[in-house]
Amino acid sequence: MDNNSGIDAPSQASSGLPREQVRFTGSGAEYFGIWIVNLLLTIVTLGIYSAWAKVRRLQYFYRHTALAGSSFDFHGSPIKILIGRVIALGMLIGYNFSVRLHSPLTLVIVLALAVVMPWLLRNSFRFRLYNTSWRGTRFHFRGSVGGAYRVFLLNGFLTLITLYVMAPFMHQRLKAYQHDNSWFGRTQASFHARPGQFYVIYLQLLAAIVVLAIAVGVSGIGHALATLLQIQKRGQHVDPHAMLQTVLIIYGTLILALILIGSIFHALITNLIWSNTRLGEHRIECNMSPSALLWINLSNFVLVVLTLGFFMPWAMVRLAKFQLESVRLLPASDLQEFVAAEPETIGAVGEEAATAFDFDISL
Amino acid sequence: MLRGNYFDGRSTRVRVVNLSIVGEDLVITGEDVDLRVPFTQVKVDERLGGAPRRLSLPDGTSCEIRDLNALDTLLSVVAHRDGWVERMQRHVQFVLFSCLACVLLAVAAYRWGLPWAAAEGARYLPPAIGKTLSVQVLKVLDGRILLPSKISGEHQQALSAEFHALRLPEGGTADNALLFRESPQLGTNAFTLPDGTIVLLDGLITSIGDDQQTLGVLAHELGHAHGRHGLQLLLQSSAVGAFWAFYVGDISHLLAVAPAAVLQARYSQDLEQQADDYAAALLVRNGMSPGLLADALERLTAREAGVANAGYLSSHPSADKRMRHLRALATASRGKLAAPRQHPGASLTNNSTYVDILTCRALPMPRVRPTCCSPLC
Repeated sequence: MDNNSGIDAPSQASSGLPREQVRFTGSGAEYFGIWIVNLLLTIVTLGIYSAWAKVRRLQYFYRHTALAGSSFDFHGSPIKILIGRVIALGMLIGYNFSVRLHSPLTLVIVLALAVVMPWLLRNSFRFRLYNTSWRGTRFHFRGSVGGAYRVFLLNGFLTLITLYVMAPFMHQRLKAYQHDNSWFGRTQASFHARPGQFYVIYLQLLAAIVVLAIAVGVSGIGHALATLLQIQKRGQHVDPHAMLQTVLIIYGTLILALILIGSIFHALITNLIWSNTRLGEHRIECNMSPSALLWINLSNFVLVVLTLGFFMPWAMVRLAKFQLESVRLLPASDLQEFVAAEPETIGAVGEEAATAFDFDISL
Repeated sequence: MLRGNYFDGRSTRVRVVNLSIVGEDLVITGEDVDLRVPFTQVKVDERLGGAPRRLSLPDGTSCEIRDLNALDTLLSVVAHRDGWVERMQRHVQFVLFSCLACVLLAVAAYRWGLPWAAAEGARYLPPAIGKTLSVQVLKVLDGRILLPSKISGEHQQALSAEFHALRLPEGGTADNALLFRESPQLGTNAFTLPDGTIVLLDGLITSIGDDQQTLGVLAHELGHAHGRHGLQLLLQSSAVGAFWAFYVGDISHLLAVAPAAVLQARYSQDLEQQADDYAAALLVRNGMSPGLLADALERLTAREAGVANAGYLSSHPSADKRMRHLRALATASRGKLAAPRQHPGASLTNNSTYVDILTCRALPMPRVRPTCCSPLC
């Protein structure tokens, strides 16, 4: 079996062609104008314009992303996104309401959602890839519906009953389903990371959580809260200020821990996934530095909070630039040789992509 | 002369081409390319900052252009006009106006839009939903936080009889279920469930020690029931929560929860005010003074004096303010009352409320919170 961990992959592509670094040229100030105008239009139209705003946002980021001198582009239709959003919103409200209701109906709705979700997610992958292009050639997602049910429903169930011991395995299967079924024109992508590699990263995650939990325990924050709750349980009054202070400290600690662990985990797993993905014979290399990602996420978070959200465009651009520019393509042959799928071929698979059911669900 | 990359839509081959306008047509020439297309059939992508722009031709081929200024010159020849959103995005004054407008609209939506929508929504929700919610809440609370009442049967019956005899301002009598319970945790309290069921705790009856004043508190609870405040709060909290999850969700799901609770508190204050006004009208209609509720509040305040106010987290307007408001109403209605009651004129210097909102929020409540906010919580 092919056993190439991308991280250890040879630094020089065997073809002798230069590596192609992904470039992102967007700027926060430039994006701010687009963001705020679209936000206003979304508010004024009571959210309807959000579909158009989303297309513009994706186009801004896609078109500013260049590989080998050519940009990507997004072709999604705002109307389809709007339909997708209306349906997603309906499902979300139904779900939230049923969960609060605690009635037998809850089970029915949750089950119905579980049954529809894999199909929706598959359609969502298709929508996103089909509407992405580079050099005038589109991507495609050709995963089967059965595959989606195996990946989301069966594996999800297995993960639950094994108390998440299977979670890394499930993650690997999900990525294999996504990447093995992705195409650029007539060139198929493939996924080579093994479950064992996922387990290694998940074990590091677990270790980090344990260490942090111990640190929090030693610091005595948890103890302070427990004492306050104990007093309250006995029916006595607790000083609300002490309570508030404790709750805020715990809150802050949780957010910090989440950003810390989340960033490092995200960097490691993204590196693993993309470094083990190939497009035809072309290799991909992803070298995201966990500490740099942590710094970006942490500073973004602080600045977005301090500016009541107005830093958001800069935060999004910073994050996108960092993440995209950590990716390199190692061409095995000339990048001019990709062939688009024949229009007829698109028709056979992509026919449904054009139907009303092929909507986009943002997840 | 405008240079661009031409893609034939069949492969990723890059062909460097020159673009020009001849008459009404776009002419593209370069390696293996010699095209002439009426410009009206060419789709020009909008300008998004410094990103390359694309000209899409009707046959599925396209040109990617990086020299935006040269493209603008070319477009000006055919009098192509960018879309209005495109122009607004680049217009500094409009961008600044958008910032201001977004902030103002957000404040307005929060202050007036959402309460209005939630109140309307609560009015049109089928009563069965309120019923189901209430049954669930009681099921969770009974036996854990709520214990059987220790008030004597006769006392309970007497209070119930007086309660059910209350004539409502909108006509009819109070047909809400009145439940007696004891609760060490909730102490002196009364609250209304989404279907209008009122739960009266022993602590409240004994601390007030005057059934007429207790009826004043119940009148306030009937105000919550009448306004469907339970459902309204539920809808509002869902909406505020959903908004925050959407707005801040990208950064942190955890952060989404806290501000929602703070934003919520403001609404509770408005609802308390509404319930007080309703209670005053109800009491006047029954020949009682709105001052009864003020007296009850005062007695509870005095009893709880010393407990620090949760300040910005408090869901109640200060008791002082409420009492002044109610007493003003009492004075105004004095002429209409058969036997005006005397009120102790003691002015309250203690501005603390006995509202311990944190206690309330930290309770092991089910996801649905009753309107656990009056007059204590």
